[in-house]
This record gives sequence, structure tokens and C-alpha cells, in this order.
Amino acid sequence: MAEAKQKNTYTGFVVKPMLRTMRTFVKSLILGRPNTVLYPYQKLDLPQVYRGLHTLDFKKCIGCGNCVIICPNDCMWLEKIDDPELGKIERPGVDIGRCLFCGFCAEVCPTAALHMTTEFELANHERNKLRFSPKDIRDDKFADTFKEERSRRSLPYLNMEKCTSCEKCGEECPEMCIAIVPVEGTGRKRPEINFAKCTSCGKCAVVCPEKALEMTDVYEAYFEMPEPKLVLENCTGCQACSKACPAEAVYMLEMPGTEKVLKDGKKTKPKKRAVFILEKCVGCGRCFRACKFKAIDMPGVKK
Amino acid sequence: MAEMWINMGPQHPMTHGLWNLRIKVDGETITDAEPEVGYLHRGIEKLCEDRTYTQIIPITDRLCYGSSLTWSHLYCLTVEDLMGVEVPERAEYIRVMAIEMQRIASHLMWLAAYAADLGMMVGFIYGMRDREVFIDLLQALSGSRLTYNYPRIGGVAHDLPHNFDRDALRACEYMEKKLKEYEDIYDGSKVFMMRNEGIGLLKKEDALNLGVTGPPLRGSGVKYDLRKDMPYSVYEDIDFQPRSHPACDCYARYRVRMDEMWESCRIIRQTVKKMPKGKWRVVAPRNAPEGTGFGRVEDPRGEAVMYVVGNGTDRPYRLKIRSPIFVTVSAAPKMLIGYKVADVVAIMGGLDMCIGEADR
Amino acid sequence: MNLYEFCYGIIHWLVDLVNNLWYWLGDLLPWWFGDFFTAVGDFARSDGHLSVMTILLEGVVILVVGLVNVLNFIWIDRKLSGRIFDFYGPYYVGYRIGGWLQNLADGIKLFTKEIITPAKADRVGFLVAPIVFVGSSVLVLAAIPFSHNFGIATNDSGAGIPAGVLFAFAMFAIAPFAILVAGWSSNNKYTLIGGMRSAAQMMSYEIPMLLIVASVLLLAGGFSFGEVVDAQHDIWFAIPLFLGFIVFLVCIVAEVEVQPFDLPEAEAELVEGWTTEYCGMRFGLFMMTSYLRGYAGGALTTALFLGGWQGPRLIPDEFWFLIKAYIVFFVVEWMRWSLPRIRVDQILGLGWKRLMPLAILNLLIAAAMKTMGWF
Repeated sequence: MAEAKQKNTYTGFVVKPMLRTMRTFVKSLILGRPNTVLYPYQKLDLPQVYRGLHTLDFKKCIGCGNCVIICPNDCMWLEKIDDPELGKIERPGVDIGRCLFCGFCAEVCPTAALHMTTEFELANHERNKLRFSPKDIRDDKFADTFKEERSRRSLPYLNMEKCTSCEKCGEECPEMCIAIVPVEGTGRKRPEINFAKCTSCGKCAVVCPEKALEMTDVYEAYFEMPEPKLVLENCTGCQACSKACPAEAVYMLEMPGTEKVLKDGKKTKPKKRAVFILEKCVGCGRCFRACKFKAIDMPGVKK
Repeated sequence: MAEMWINMGPQHPMTHGLWNLRIKVDGETITDAEPEVGYLHRGIEKLCEDRTYTQIIPITDRLCYGSSLTWSHLYCLTVEDLMGVEVPERAEYIRVMAIEMQRIASHLMWLAAYAADLGMMVGFIYGMRDREVFIDLLQALSGSRLTYNYPRIGGVAHDLPHNFDRDALRACEYMEKKLKEYEDIYDGSKVFMMRNEGIGLLKKEDALNLGVTGPPLRGSGVKYDLRKDMPYSVYEDIDFQPRSHPACDCYARYRVRMDEMWESCRIIRQTVKKMPKGKWRVVAPRNAPEGTGFGRVEDPRGEAVMYVVGNGTDRPYRLKIRSPIFVTVSAAPKMLIGYKVADVVAIMGGLDMCIGEADR
Repeated sequence: MNLYEFCYGIIHWLVDLVNNLWYWLGDLLPWWFGDFFTAVGDFARSDGHLSVMTILLEGVVILVVGLVNVLNFIWIDRKLSGRIFDFYGPYYVGYRIGGWLQNLADGIKLFTKEIITPAKADRVGFLVAPIVFVGSSVLVLAAIPFSHNFGIATNDSGAGIPAGVLFAFAMFAIAPFAILVAGWSSNNKYTLIGGMRSAAQMMSYEIPMLLIVASVLLLAGGFSFGEVVDAQHDIWFAIPLFLGFIVFLVCIVAEVEVQPFDLPEAEAELVEGWTTEYCGMRFGLFMMTSYLRGYAGGALTTALFLGGWQGPRLIPDEFWFLIKAYIVFFVVEWMRWSLPRIRVDQILGLGWKRLMPLAILNLLIAAAMKTMGWF
């Protein structure tokens, strides 16, 4: 067996380690500075990014369900709630027993309504107490207690009902990021804004005569979400997708020239079609699930 | 006494995870050994086939919970290779800094467990106390203490917090002071040397033939470190030396890991100095192209490899994981035969087994 | 006033108190009832009865003092190891007085556990082994006096047991047999290995220890503790016999089985070693006896090498003895928490190959000093 050739670093066989432990003993007892705190009488401060229990701001949440989709362990669900001031809403609840505390739900939330606090003392004797319904994690004032670290920008959001296709915003934009595209079948045009190039100068919102463009604070989204595509032949104008969309990205526009004349001479109203403002879309897929006529194509999303 | 087979584990106080080691004992000397792994199999490769690329990141964290950043970083490298995503430079530097801190934390946990096996509770407590410094740094960075979920496909999750470089440099100074203290406590004690010198020899040819990588290989005199030989991320721009030790025994493996901690402190200092400004994340595509991606890193325990096959959707078709411990533990018979039963803990402890990655 | 007289006084007072009852009954009842009670009262006052009761009371006092010291040792051990490891020891147990009541909590926990005997274990051996182990260790305490006046045999007839040192070490050396019986009768491969290792270790460290004791007795000139301590009135034996002192300390550490010599109880391989199959308070007795032997070892070191109960007259002699025993314990604990375990064949090698020649050398030095007339 080969012996390791190295010089003897031990003096007096055991003197060095004993001196080291004596040094720690003196520092800990006589100088009075041990390394631990007397929990639970003294507690440590946790940083703000710590991932503990969730907290939900009911007013900011739009009920899109992105958090429910992205959870790796299927531990969130959407619950229908009848709130006195907000009406009939859907908000997510979380099951701590299954939760990985990975933080994806807070990261993917488009309006930064779901955060993770520093509360970690969550043990309980019963398993059903670990399911936190939306009312249990509701805290509408949480955003006032800390400095929001997620980066956000001020971007122009389009309200299609007010837009008159006057094209003034497209001429005004200094970065040339507004493209005026026609909406098929309706004879109108709408501005399509490239958010990657937008510098938030706000000139388009100022110049719009109907105030259809509004500068809103939008949180940066780093996850690429699936996008819906309309299959125009199947669209019947039933408005299911528009009502289901939580982010107000689907508007119904009339298609002139589709009125029919009935037998008794009256004219029906023109057919409507759905128009997607894809810049506002958060990729939740509720329009895809609401459409019963297979008029929306969203690859990769489950029904 | 006649020869008999003894089972060490799977229920055993200090075998670092759930595995079984059967040794054939003749009196006090070992004549044969047979490790059995598989008690901690969780089906991770199958779980990954049902989740999107982003959802797999927390799962790869839990492969080896002792050094979880290495595995999620490896996964992100593999998927970035598949999708062809270019990561910004600031993100690469942040990743390297976090990985080296994780390496120090993992080696300190090994040191603590090793000392506890040898009977020295002092080493255990001191190792855990110093590991807290790095775990607190990583907690301020990512939000969690053990499974960080910090790298993302296309960069890192969020930017560095305030004053992080000042804290990182303070941690490096603290660690270097403590490494000198560890030399006094371990190298300066005749008893520790008696337990470790000449025990558990693994010759160079055996190590190379069996596919052993990492500190056991470097402890047998082979200077092979993936960060220098096949550099990934920004390791080409960083100046450090892979360390090895010519004696092939337990003391050599211990010495290699302590030297690696010195080198990691140097690397952290260089990344703090060279950190560029800029973006820390780009948006990665959701669907992967059809094709394959391959990534390999130098885990604190050896060479870890991942291979992903994409089929055009947002879920992988197959994810294959190669763990270093799974291969190193098969070298156990070579290292154990001829020594006493009391040496088993020293030898197997010196390999730094983390069964989470061996069983997946 | 020595311990014997003190206890005699207490017993005398108690007997007088109870005799009032007997004599009153004797006067009250007629015929032979009365004679019977009077005879009982006379018997209680007789010299033989009083001295037997005195000896029993002395035994109880020494045992209580020893056990209280053991509790203190356990508490100091935990606080000391806590401070060496950079944390507080036990702190808030019941009241915030530093955690001394942790011993009480541990004792209550051990008492309330279920006691299981393995099915195929040898019942007699299994039950007898703790008794022998604990009993022999407590008997060591019997032989060691704390001072001229405080000891179990310190009566007017002599300064303690005539061959006190010999008796103490004889009792100390019974322990390996009890350990072997305990390990074997548990019907478990691991405890058998642990028991054999432990017995081998203890027996191989008895030899250097007794050689060093022989050298001390050579210089002291007598076999009892009183003579050994009186022979140190000029200079403590630790200074001329320094080599012997160090070797004796190492042997005590090996006998008591603390780190670095505790491979028989190594958790990593053998769970608890030879005590694996014992549950509840039986296990508690083994743990307590381990500390008791540590205390006995410290007391022996003090008496033989550190001058026993000699010290400035500020505080009583008994406290000097205890202070020196606690200092020896402190040094042993310091060594315990700084070093890893030594492998069992290395332990035996150390005992036979390194310590025994040193002990013989020490004996030669002592013989040389005696012939030169320095002692």
C-alpha cells in the first residue's frame, strides 16, 4: 500500500485541533457571540424574495388562470367567488400540501397579483387545513408593504370599440412600431403595436382623438405563452370568447355586408366576428375552451 | 468466524441516503462487496415527459438536493443547445458565480457528513455553520435555501440583489479564513491522518477503466476537469487550476475537495470583478424544434450529462440523465476489498454519495 | 468531625426518637408483649445495630453525592459541547436557568418508555448484566474519600479502607465482563461484535493503567488513599511522574469509552454498539454509568496525581477535590469533542505497543526516584 508522501503537519499529535476548539469555546462563552439564535424567542429576518405562503390581491387579479396552468404539480385551482364589491369573479386557491414553492405562479402572473410572502411556519395537524382557498390568501394591501422588483413598462393598450381607423397613431409614432393592419371582413383597420420596439413615449395615446389608446403599466413577461388564431369560417359571432377573456383582448366587430333580408322584408343585424388584440393576450386559453365551433386554433393548449 | 454477508443499510443512521451495501466479512476483513441502489427511484425521467420545458426546472433541482443548482443549470444548457437560444453574458457570469457558491456549499456538506461518520462532531457542526453563509447568499439571490429554481431557459430568473458583490467578497474572505482552520482541525490531527492515509486505494488504471470522474478521479492523479478540458459557459475566460493529488487514498480525495474550495473562492472573486452589465434573461421559444440537445457539466461529484430529444411540441420526447455517483459507486468493490469493516464509512464517505441523483 | 461520626449522630437521634415509641409501648402493654417491645428498643440502641445503620446511611449519602455529580457532569457536557460547537446548550427547560432540568426531562422520558426483552435473548444474562455493570461502578465510588473526614470508611480506626486504591481499581476492572455478557445475551450480531471490541479495548488499557498506579504506590508507600494524598504534601505526583500522568489520562479516556476511543458505540456502523437491545431506563442506567465511570476516573486521577484534597484553606477540602475532578473532566471533554474516532485495531495497537512501554518507563523513573530518597 503506497503511503502518501506529504510532510507532517501535525504537531504534538492532537494539539492543533484542541487549540482550535478552545478558541471557539472562548469566543462563544466569554465574548458571548455564539452562532445561533434562540428560536422561537428570537427570529431571523428573511429577504423579500423568499418563497413562502402565497398572497393574492383580489383587485389586481384578472382570473386568467395562468398560474393554474404553469404549476408543475397541479396544486392550484380556480374558484368561483361572489364578492360584494367585485361581483362574480374567479380566483385561484393553492394546496400547500402539494406545492413545491417554486414561484412560477408568481412569476407568470401578468398583473403581479400573486406574490409569495416570507411566512414559512405552515405546519398543521390536518391535511385539509393545508388547502388555502382564495379568501384565505387574500390580502389587497400587500403591494403597499414592499418594493415591487418585477420590471414593468408603460405601454399603449388598444380599446377596439373606440377605434375609428383614423391612422393618426401610426403617423405619430417616432419608432415606427405601429403597423396599421386591416381586419378581414369588417372593412376597418386597427393599429398593431410592436411592444419590443416601443419606448413608452406616449405620443400615440395623446394624438388619438377617441382616446382608444391608453398607456398602462404592463409587467415584463419572460415566458412565451401560446397565441390564439381565429379560423374565420367557423366563427358564428356568439361572443363566448369575448366574455371569457380576462384581459379584454377579444372584441366583437360587425361585418357589414353580411345582413340577410328576411321573408317579410326586415333586415337582420350583420354578423359579428371576433377580433384578437394579441398584444394584450396573456395566453390563458379560456377563449379556446369557450369556443364551441372550433373557430379558435391554439396549438399546445389542452381543452 | 466463518465468512458472512453483512447488510449495511438500507435502514442505517449514517449512510447518506437510501442504499444498501452488502459486504462479505471474514472476521474483521472485507473480502467482497456489492452495492445495491434503487431504493430512491422516483421516476424523474418519466415525469419530465409530461411537463413543459419550463415546468421541468424545479424537478431537475431535486435530482441531487445537495447541489441542486448544478443540475438545473445543466438542464438549461441542454435545452438551450436544443433550441439554439443565445444567453446574454451577464446571465452567464451570474450562473457561474452561483454555481461556484453551490460547489462550496456542497463540499462543505460533504465535509460535515464525513466528519460525522468519522466520529468528529466538531467537523459536522463547523461545516454546517460555514455552509450557512453560502446558503444565505443563495437565499438572497433566489429565494430558497435548498432547491433554488433559479436558472431559466434563456438566462436566470431575476437580477442580482443590492450589494450582492460586496457580500460575495465578504463570504470569500470568511471562507478562506475557515479553510485555514479546517487544515488545523483535520490535517493537524494525527488521529484523522491515521484513519485516512493508505485507506481505500483506487489505482489510476482502475479509476479510468471504471469510468469514475470528479474528485475520486482527481485524487488518483489524473488531472481531468470538464471546466478546463471542455469548457462551457464562460469558464474559458476565467483563470483557475484544476487540482489533483497523486496518492490514491481517502486522504487524496479529501485534499482534492479542500483545494477545490480554494479555487472556487478565486473564481467567485473573478466573476464579481468581471461582471458585465446588461440583460439577464431572454425570452425562449415555447416549442422546441425536432432534434437533440446535449449538455455536460462538472458537478461537485463528477461529470454529469443530460440528453434531450425534442419533437416540435412544448414537452420533451425524452430526457436522459447520467449521474456521476451511479458510476462511481460501482467502483466500491475495488476500493473496499482488503480493508477492515471500520474503514467502510471512511471510504464510502469519501465518495460523497448523493443517492438522489443515482436513482433519479 | 468525620462522616462516620456525623451519620452516627443522625442515626442515634433517629433511634432515640423511635425508641420513645417502643419504650412507651413496653410500659403500656402487660406480660410478654411489653417485654417484647422493650427488647426491641434495647436492640435498636445497641452498638451493632447503630453501626450497621450508620454504614447504610453513609452509603446512601455517598451514592447521592455521586449521582448529583453525575447529573452535573451531564449538564456540563452538553453546555460545553454546545459552546465548542458555537451554539447554546440546553436553555429553556421549564425555567430559564440554563437548562439543568434537561436531565430531569430526559430521565422522565426514559422512565416512561416501554421495556422490551428480545425473544431469543438469554434472560438471565440480559437482566444481570446491567446490575453488575452499574453495581461495580458505584462500588468504585465507595473507596474514594473526598477528604480526611468524608469517606465511607473514615472512622476513628483508620484513615479509610486499608487497601483503598487496590479495591477501587479492582472494581473498575469488573466492567468488561458485564459488557461481554450484555453484548452476547442480546442475540444480535452487532452487539456481539460491539461487546467483544469493548471488552478487548478495556482489558488492554487496564495494563498500562495498573502499572502507573503501581509506580504511584511505590512513591507513596502505602495502599490507601489517605497515605497517597499525604505523600503529596510537598509536590503533586503529576510533576515528577508527568509521563505517567499523561498516559493515565489517556487510559482513563479509553476505559470510559468517550471519543476518540468509542468505536464500540460508533453510530455509523453498529447503531449503539453493545447497548442496542436495551430500552427505557435500562439504557438510561448504562448512559449514567458511563458518566459515573468518567467521574470515578476523574476522582482517581485527582487522588493519585493532583494532590487529592490539598489546597489553600479558603474553602473546605471536599470542594477542592470536586473542583480538581471537574477540571480533569473538562480536559477529557475537550479532547472528546476535538478528535475523530480511532479504529479498533489502531486502539489496541496504541494500548499494547505504545502505552505499555511508556508505563514501564514510568515505573523505572519512580523506582529511581524512590531509591534516591526523594520521596
